[in-house]
Amino acid sequence: MSLQDELKAQIVKRLPELDVVIGWGQGYDSLHRTPLFITSEADVDKLVFDPLCVHNLSTYLTRYGSAKRIGVVVKGCDSRSVVELLQEKLIHRDKVMVFGLPCEGVADLGKVKRALAAKDLDMGRVRAASFADGDLVVTVSGQEIRLPMAEVQADKCGRCRYHNAVIHDEFAGQPITEAAPDTYADVAAFEEQTLEERMEFWREQMERCVRCYACRNACPLCVCRDYCIGQSREPNWVSQRDGLEEKFFFQMIHATHLAGRCTECGECERACPVDIPLLLLKRKLGKEILELFDYRAGTDPDAKPPLLNFKVQEDTINERGW
Amino acid sequence: MKIGVFVCHCGSNIAGTVDVVQVAEAAKSMPEVAFAKDTMYACSEPGQQGIIDAIKEMGLDGAVVASCTPRMHGSTFMRTVARAGLNPYMFEMANIREHVSWIGKDKVANTRKAIDLVRMAVAKLAQNKPLYSQSFSINKRVMIIGGGVAGIQAALDCADGGLQVVLVEKTTTIGGKMAKLDKTFPTVDCSSCILGPRMVDVAQHPNITLHASAEVDEVFGYVGNYQVEVRKKATYVNWKTCTGCGACMEKCPSKKSKDPFNELIGTTTAINIPFPQAIPKRASIDRDSCIKFKTGKCGICAKVCPTKAIDYDQQDEMITEEVGAIIAATGFDLMDWHVYGQYGAGRYPDVITSLQYERMLSASGPTGGHIKRPSDKKEPKTIVFIQCVGSRDKSVGRPYCTGFCCMYTAKQAILTKDHIPDSESYVFYMDIRAPGKMYDEFTRRAMEEYGAKYIRGRVSMVYPQDGKMIVRGVDTLAGAQVEVEADLVVLAVGAEGAAGSAQLAEKLRISYDSYGFFMEGHPKLKPVETNTAGVYLAGCAQGPKDIPSSVAQGSAAAAKVLSLFSKDQLQSDPQVSKVDLKRCVGCMKCAITCPFGAIKETEVRGEIKAQVIETICQGCGICTSTCRQGAIQLQNFTDNQILAEVNALLSSETEEA
Ligand SMILES: Cc1cc2nc3c(=O)[nH]c(=O)nc-3n(C[C@H](O)[C@H](O)[C@H](O)COP(=O)(O)OP(=O)(O)OC[C@H]3O[C@@H](n4cnc5c(N)ncnc54)[C@H](O)[C@@H]3O)c2cc1C
Ligand code: SF4
Ligand code: SF4
Ligand code: SF4
Ligand code: SF4
Repeated sequence: MSLQDELKAQIVKRLPELDVVIGWGQGYDSLHRTPLFITSEADVDKLVFDPLCVHNLSTYLTRYGSAKRIGVVVKGCDSRSVVELLQEKLIHRDKVMVFGLPCEGVADLGKVKRALAAKDLDMGRVRAASFADGDLVVTVSGQEIRLPMAEVQADKCGRCRYHNAVIHDEFAGQPITEAAPDTYADVAAFEEQTLEERMEFWREQMERCVRCYACRNACPLCVCRDYCIGQSREPNWVSQRDGLEEKFFFQMIHATHLAGRCTECGECERACPVDIPLLLLKRKLGKEILELFDYRAGTDPDAKPPLLNFKVQEDTINERGW
Repeated sequence: MKIGVFVCHCGSNIAGTVDVVQVAEAAKSMPEVAFAKDTMYACSEPGQQGIIDAIKEMGLDGAVVASCTPRMHGSTFMRTVARAGLNPYMFEMANIREHVSWIGKDKVANTRKAIDLVRMAVAKLAQNKPLYSQSFSINKRVMIIGGGVAGIQAALDCADGGLQVVLVEKTTTIGGKMAKLDKTFPTVDCSSCILGPRMVDVAQHPNITLHASAEVDEVFGYVGNYQVEVRKKATYVNWKTCTGCGACMEKCPSKKSKDPFNELIGTTTAINIPFPQAIPKRASIDRDSCIKFKTGKCGICAKVCPTKAIDYDQQDEMITEEVGAIIAATGFDLMDWHVYGQYGAGRYPDVITSLQYERMLSASGPTGGHIKRPSDKKEPKTIVFIQCVGSRDKSVGRPYCTGFCCMYTAKQAILTKDHIPDSESYVFYMDIRAPGKMYDEFTRRAMEEYGAKYIRGRVSMVYPQDGKMIVRGVDTLAGAQVEVEADLVVLAVGAEGAAGSAQLAEKLRISYDSYGFFMEGHPKLKPVETNTAGVYLAGCAQGPKDIPSSVAQGSAAAAKVLSLFSKDQLQSDPQVSKVDLKRCVGCMKCAITCPFGAIKETEVRGEIKAQVIETICQGCGICTSTCRQGAIQLQNFTDNQILAEVNALLSSETEEA
C-alpha cells in the first residue's frame, strides 16, 4: 500500500471519533496543494500527500475553540508546532488526533518558478506535475521538464533534523532514519557581516513589507489574531503609519514573541508575498536560544519553554555563582 | 482632563541648579495642563495646602509634583491629593532632585531635563485611572529566621507582646556566635551567663515555637499572609523523647568528629549536643562521622539511650507555617580568610581565627579555658593579633569595616594577660574604631593597664621558623619594619552575610549586597524594614554590628511587627495586574512566570482565562512582559502609560532637532 493510501485508511478508521480532519487536497493548479477539511468519508478521496504539500496545517488547530475534536496531518516540521501548542496549553491532547508522516522534503515554489524562468518558461503555464526518481516532472508550454528535487527543495528541508512526526496517534509509512544536525551554519554565515551590513540588509528587506500580516496569520503560534499587539490600540505599541520603523518594529515584535517557541517551520517566509527572508530572523533567535538554554522548541511535549518560565537561577546562566 | 503641575524648589536643593520658574512656565503649554506653579517646599504644610487649594479652586483632575524621589514623598503627596478629594492615583511624581539637580551642575541642561521629566509625568497622568484598594485580614503570627542574639531578642519581645512566634534556627541549637564567645566587651562579663537565661526563656515561653535544625525552603504569600515551608533536617534522634541526658555522647566510639561549635579546634562525638547550655538540649547525629551510617555497624547510641530516641531512618520533615510577618536575623559568618596567602592560607596550625581563639579562652571550650597553641599544645608567651583580615581591604574585595574586631581584639588581649600573666600581646591595627559607650576607654585599658603593644600597620607576611611564627610588618607611625617572633597568631577575620543568605534573600524577595548582607529599606530612616512589606531585619544579617546593636535591632524589628499587627486589616496596593478577558487566550503563561503564584485559571463561557488574585499580586510586572498580546496589564503601569511617557520624551527630542 502506498503511503497516501495508508494515510487515507487511517483517517477513514478514526474519522467517526472526530469532528474534522485537516489534510491537503488538490489546489487551483497542478503545482499547488491547498488545506482540505475532511468531515465525511467521501472527502477522504480528495486527500493528497506529496512534496507539494507545503502548508503547516497545525495553524488551524487553534481556530476551533476547545469543544471540537480535530485530526491533523503533519510532516516532521509541522508536528513540532503541535508539540509547542500542547506545551502552551493552546490545544489539549485529548482534543487533537495527530496523523504523523515521514517527509523527505517539500518543494519551494519560488525556486521552481526561478528554475523555469531560467529556461524562459512561466510557472503559471504548468499543466501537469508529478514526481519520479527524485525529480519534479512538470509539463509546461507543451514541454516536459525534469527539475531535480535537490535543486528545488525548500532550504529548511536540507538541514532538517526531524523528518518524522515527533508526536502522533497514527503514523503512515516508514520512518526516515537519517537526519541532518542543523548547526545553524546559515545564521553563523550571516553573522559574519558587520553590524552595518546586516542593518542595511534588513532595511532593504523590511522596506518591501506591506504589513499584510500574512506572515503572522500563517504562523501556527501567533494565536492572538485580532488582538495582536502589532495592530492593536490598547496597548498601542505600533502605529498604523506606513514607515520603515513601524514595519521593522512589527517584525521585531513578531520575532521576539516567537523566541524559544518558533519551531522554524518557515510558514511566515513562505506566506510573505514580497519574499522577505523572515525565517532568517526567526532562526537567529532559535540559535540564541539553543546556545543559551540548550533548547530546541517543539520537541518534547512535557518541556517548559525557557522563556516561559521563571527561575531565580537558570540552569545554564550562572549569574550568581551559586 | 485638567492637570496641575507643582514644581518644588526644595530650598536650594533643586532651585540651585534647576530654573524651577522656567520649568513651571514650560509645563503650562503641555497638553492637558490647566495650572502650573513653582513652590518652595511642596511637602511642607503650606506647600501641601497650596496643592489642595489649587485642585479645589481650579477643579483639577490630577496633579504632577516635580520634586524628589517617590520613595521619599510619593505617599505624602498621594495623601495630599486624596485630601483634596481626588483619587490618590490621579497623581504623578517627576524626580527632578535625585535624577537632576543633585547629579548635574549645568543649569541649562538640568532645566531642559527637568522639563522633559515633567512632560513625561504629565503624559502618563493623562492616562491614569482611579484605583481602589481592598482590605484583607492578617495572620498575627511572626516567623523569626535565625536564633542568634538578635533573633532571640526579637522572639522574646514579640512573644511578650502577645504574638505567636515561630523561631527557625539552622543549627541544632540557638545562641549564634554569642554562644561561642568567652567574655564580651566592654564589660568583660561572661557571654553564656548573660545569653544562657535568654535562651532558656525562649525554650520556656508559651508563645514561642522553636524549630532548630531547620531551614526555610520556600516562601509564598504576602504581607499579613505568608506561608513558609520549613524543612526540619533529620537529626536521627527523636527530639520528643530525647531528654538531653548525654549518655549517647559518653559511649559513642566515633570521638574524632568535626566540631563546628568549637570552630574545628576540638573534636566531638558523632552523636552530640554542641554545648552544655544548648537550646534545645537535644542530641543529633553527624551522618558523615557516624560509624553506623558509614559501615552499617555500631548502633551503640541506640542501645544506651534510655528513652529509645535514636532513629537512624529519620527523614527530613516538611512543615508549613502560616505567619503574617517575618524577621530575618541570620547573622554573619567569618569570610574565608584563606585568600591571604601571605598569612599561610591555612597551612600553619598556629595561625588561627579570632573565633577559634574565643573557644580556646572559654572554660567550656575544648582546651578547658587554657590557651594552648594547636601545633604542640604549649602555652604561648608571645601572641600577635592581626586586625582587618578581610576588612577594609580592597585587594580581597572587602572594602568595608567589620566594626567589632577592634573591640574584641582589645578584649582578647586583656583576657590573654589574665590567662597568662607573663605573656606579651602585639596588635597590628589600621585605625582603632571604638565609638561607643565605654568603648574607647576599653581599648585604652588594653594598652595602658594590660600592656598590649599596638603597632599601626599591616602585616605583610607570616611564616614559620624554628618553632615560631615570624610576623613581619610595618610600623607606619615609627616608619620602620618590624618583625615579631610569635608563638601564636590570631587573625581578626572580617564578617560577611551568613552562608546561604543570598538564597534566603531570593526566597524572601528582599535585596542583598554582594557580601550577603540584606538591604534595609532606607539606610537612615528604615534600618529594620526591607523593601518587601512584612519582612524585617535584625542583627548582623543587615550588616556587621556588635551585641548591643544587634539586640537593639532585634527589639526594633519586634516593635515594627507589633505595630503592623496592631491593625486587624491591611489595605492592598491596587497597582496590580489585571486581565483583559477578551484578549486572553488562556495559555496561562502568566501563571507560569508569576513568581508569587498570584494568577489562577478560571473559565469564562467555556474558555480558559487567567485571573489575578489581587491581594497576592505584588505588581512586579513579569506577567505583563510574558503575555505577548498584552492581555494582562499592570494597573497604573500599563503599556500605554509607559508608551505615553516614552513618546513624550521622544517628541521633545524631535521638537529640538
Ligand atoms: C571573635 C568575635 C568576638 C566577638 N566579641 C564580641 C563581644 O565581646 N561583644 C560584642 O558586643 N560583640 C562581639 N562580637 C560580635 C557578635 O558576635 C555579634 O554582634 C552577634 O553575634 C550578632 O548576633 P546575630 O544574632 O545578629 O548573628 P549570629 O550570632 O551570627 O546568629 C545568627 C543565627 O542565625 C542562624 N542562621 C544563619 N543562617 C540561617 C538560615 N538560613 N536559617 C536559619 N538560621 C540561620 C545561625 O546559625 C545563628 O544561630 C564578636 C564577634 C566575633 C567574630
Ligand atoms: S507577510 Fe511579508 S509583507 Fe506581509 S506583513 Fe509579513 S513580512 Fe510584511
Ligand atoms: S506577533 Fe505577537 S502579538 Fe502578534 S499574533 Fe504573533 S504572538 Fe500575538
Ligand atoms: S499570558 Fe496573557 S493570554 Fe496567556 S493566560 Fe495570561 S493573560 Fe491570558
Ligand atoms: S504583576 Fe503579574 S507576575 Fe507580578 S505578581 Fe502580579 S500577577 Fe504575578
